[in-house]
Order: sequence, then structure tokens, then C-alpha cells
Amino acid sequence: MNLYNDYKDRADFLTVYIREAHPLDEWQMKSNVDQGVCYAQPHSTEQRVAIANDFIQRFHFPVPFAVDDMHDIADHAYSAWPERIYIIDEQGKIVYRGGIGPFNYHPPEARAWLEKRFNVTPTPTTSAANGHPTNAAN
Amino acid sequence: MRWWKWTAIILIAVLACGYGALSYMMGGPRDVYGFLRYALPQWRDGKLKLGDTAPNVRLLALDGQTTFHLSDRIGQRPLVLVFGSYT
Repeated sequence: MNLYNDYKDRADFLTVYIREAHPLDEWQMKSNVDQGVCYAQPHSTEQRVAIANDFIQRFHFPVPFAVDDMHDIADHAYSAWPERIYIIDEQGKIVYRGGIGPFNYHPPEARAWLEKRFNVTPTPTTSAANGHPTNAAN
Repeated sequence: MRWWKWTAIILIAVLACGYGALSYMMGGPRDVYGFLRYALPQWRDGKLKLGDTAPNVRLLALDGQTTFHLSDRIGQRPLVLVFGSYT
């Protein structure tokens, strides 16, 4: 969320909640069990929206939020699963296209683009955390 | 022993070693299965390139009823679009 806090006055942000990466009925991660984050893969819009709202409430997530529909249209259009960052300019063109998470999910790259765009002194690069959208933070 | 038996043994040994190495790297054999079964088929780099027009997808608001198009959020300032899930 640091990226959002640092640039929300100069850029717009939108988080898009897509199909779960590690639901309990697919490839559940031990870390999620330890944290009590256990959800089955949603099979209805209501279930998907409910998980999105749980996420927002737990993290007091301030970034504008949207939910992909049950046909995964946004996920497929942007090849987004399990996590990915894009930046779209004012003309609607893709100007930054991040790698696919978790291994190539690097929020500092998006930060670097914003720093260059707004002529901000670069910050030391930190290693990217993987995982969910709260890690669009560095 | 015929050559094909040795080939099969070597192939099985290589696969077992590969699975073992992946298990070690990923935390356990169950994670390797999960990776191969669920992650690998869904990983797609996609065809979008820098300079392409952003797909104008329809999205849901958090009330689960209201819909809007991505283009509604484009135009005033750069838009940082973050995709992800809870788990």
C-alpha cells in the first residue's frame, strides 16, 4: 500500500480481485492455513464478492477495488492470474506490463515507472513480496 | 536386460530426482503436485504488449451488483492496475 499512498495524488489505482490462487479445494498453502485464510474457489458472484469484502475488511484496504466476473474476463484479457500489475496511461495504452506472479511480480518496477513519469527521485529498490494485492506496496 | 528397460529405469530415476528437487525447492511433494496441477495450466504470459490499447473489460463493484468498464477509470491520470486474490 506504500505505492498507493505515495502516488494516489498523481495516479489512479484499481485493484481487481480475480480467481483465488490457493483455495482450500485446489492448491492450498500452509501459510494461508496458518493465517486462517481458508476459502474454497468461489462458484458464484456472491461468493467471490464476499471474499473480496473479507479481504478489504481484514486489511482495511484503502485502494479502489473491483471484482472480476465469474467468467474471469479480466483475468483472461490481462493474463493476470495469480497476480500481476499493469499501468495504463491517459490514452488507454499499456505503458507498464509486469511479470506474472509470484516469481515475476515486482511492484518496485511499477514504482520505478511512476518515479520516472513524475520525475521523482528514485527510492532504493526493495525485493518484491509475492502474494496478494497488499504487496503492491514496495 | 533389454535396452528399453534401462531407458525406462533411467527415465523413472530422472523423473523421481526432478520431483524430489522440486519438492525440496517448493516445500513438499504436495506443493509440487499443486503447482503442476493448478498453477502451470493457468500461467499465461498473454499477448498484450507495451503500447497496446488496454482491454476494456467489464468489472463488478463490491456490492456485487454494480458494473462498470475499465475505460471509466482511464483518462485523467495514469492507472495502476493490480490483479490478485486473497490467498
